[in-house]
Amino acid sequence: MIKLENFHKSFGSTEVLKGVSIEVPTGSVTVILGPSGSGKTTLLRSINFLEPADKGTMILDDKVFDMAAASKKEILEVRRNTAMVFQNYNLFANMTALENVKEGLVLVQKMGRYEALIKAEYYLEKVGMINREHFYPVQLSGGQQQRVGIARALALNPKVILFDEPTSALDPELVGEVLEIMKKIAKEENSTMIVVTHEIGFARDVADQVIFMEGGVVVETGEPRDIIENPKEERTRKFLARFSNR
Amino acid sequence: MDNFLDPVFLLEIFEHLIKYVPITLGLAVGTMIMSCLLALMVTILRYKKVPILGKIGDIYVLLGRALPSMILIYLAFFGIPVLLMAVSGTNKSAMLLSGIPPIAFAALGLTLHTGAYLAEIFRGALQSVNVGQTEAELSIGMTWNQAFFRIILPQAAVFATPMMANQFLNLLKGTSIAFMISVIELFGAANVLASNNNAYLEVYIVTACLYWSTSICFEKLASVLEYNLSYFKRCTSK
Ligand SMILES: Nc1ncnc2c1ncn2[C@@H]1O[C@H](COP(=O)(O)OP(=O)(O)OP(=O)(O)O)[C@@H](O)[C@H]1O
Ligand SMILES: [Mg+2]
Repeated sequence: MIKLENFHKSFGSTEVLKGVSIEVPTGSVTVILGPSGSGKTTLLRSINFLEPADKGTMILDDKVFDMAAASKKEILEVRRNTAMVFQNYNLFANMTALENVKEGLVLVQKMGRYEALIKAEYYLEKVGMINREHFYPVQLSGGQQQRVGIARALALNPKVILFDEPTSALDPELVGEVLEIMKKIAKEENSTMIVVTHEIGFARDVADQVIFMEGGVVVETGEPRDIIENPKEERTRKFLARFSNR
Repeated sequence: MDNFLDPVFLLEIFEHLIKYVPITLGLAVGTMIMSCLLALMVTILRYKKVPILGKIGDIYVLLGRALPSMILIYLAFFGIPVLLMAVSGTNKSAMLLSGIPPIAFAALGLTLHTGAYLAEIFRGALQSVNVGQTEAELSIGMTWNQAFFRIILPQAAVFATPMMANQFLNLLKGTSIAFMISVIELFGAANVLASNNNAYLEVYIVTACLYWSTSICFEKLASVLEYNLSYFKRCTSK
């Protein structure tokens, strides 16, 4: 279980997170929806201290972290128990697909070379990239790079995987393959996932919980059917209307 | 000299001067290695914006590029003994220093000069690698140093290699001013030989050829190096 309580974050004088609290049960998928600039990316990045929050408490399983006063050791601990899938993939350009996945296993989890290889290949297989395991990122399409990015996160068996708009940098015809993989891992891997996305269909089909954010606060939380089909809040309705018109 | 550009005479000059190529090369390569280490240190201090030390790095890079390398060599050659004497208050250290060959001071001066240029090259090269990759490393619990040396540096190196090669060729020629503090390297030997034989044109033609051919070798070496470092940019699989 991961639980965020009262996350605050400002950039200069603009407050981007104004007291965000969410709870994600173990093994469940939470989708965060919200208009541009509502603080979704900032929220994900504050969870793993890429953008440390000014205030807030996080509970990761049974450990409590004060986000504003975490020690270096605690930061490492949080990062070693979470993984992130980035909008721009951020694969290590000087490493093959396989090396990208092995990197964290060998260097962070101190796994033996052979064990790491087996595990990395297992997850590359899972995302359908085993036939490209010796390719460098430049030799892969965006969708393929993102699938490797997902394998890299999965292989670490983190307590929670954070996805920040994993398909929004992709050409439309490549979006499907990545969403398929994400659906598959949500089903098979029992991973706890927090997914920021504009793919309403994905939220409807896969999410256990949908959170609608706007202006740095959580506006509405609930089951996908409730939020997407008949939202209670006017702001949620307005946001979703833009998608149904398409 | 009755026979202008007499081949036999040219060959004699060549045979004499080629003995000094290793000195020039040694000075250049040694300086380059020290410059790289210095520049890497300065670059990391500036990149991480380490308080005070990072600022000192900035000032060094400005000064190192603003001062003529000849002045840096003179400052090292004349300044360090004076400085040591002032600090220790005795002549002992000056005596110690007199055992150090001038070529070491030349290397020091040239290192200060080249290091500043390399630091700028490295800074640009680091900017060519997107920060997202560092974030990806940090996000899985790697330390900043692991991210830097495993991911960022190898990619920046590809970007930096051609400019480093350029800087090295500059340095190779730049070693000639070591002559000013009585280091007899290729150019110094050429000067002596030319005035002793009153054969300026022949000597400098041979000297030019020696610098030129050495440069070509290094240029080739650099392109091989660049090719090998950029394995991950080529569009064929391993
Ligand atoms: N490093 C930063 N420095 C200053 N302002 C920032 C920084 N990062 C984000 N912001 C600001 O914080 C606000 C929220 O940004 P954030 O990226 O979290 O939004 P988002 O919900 O992810 O939007 P999008 O859907 O466009 O990705 C924006 O107004 C943005 O300009
Ligand atoms: Mg965003």
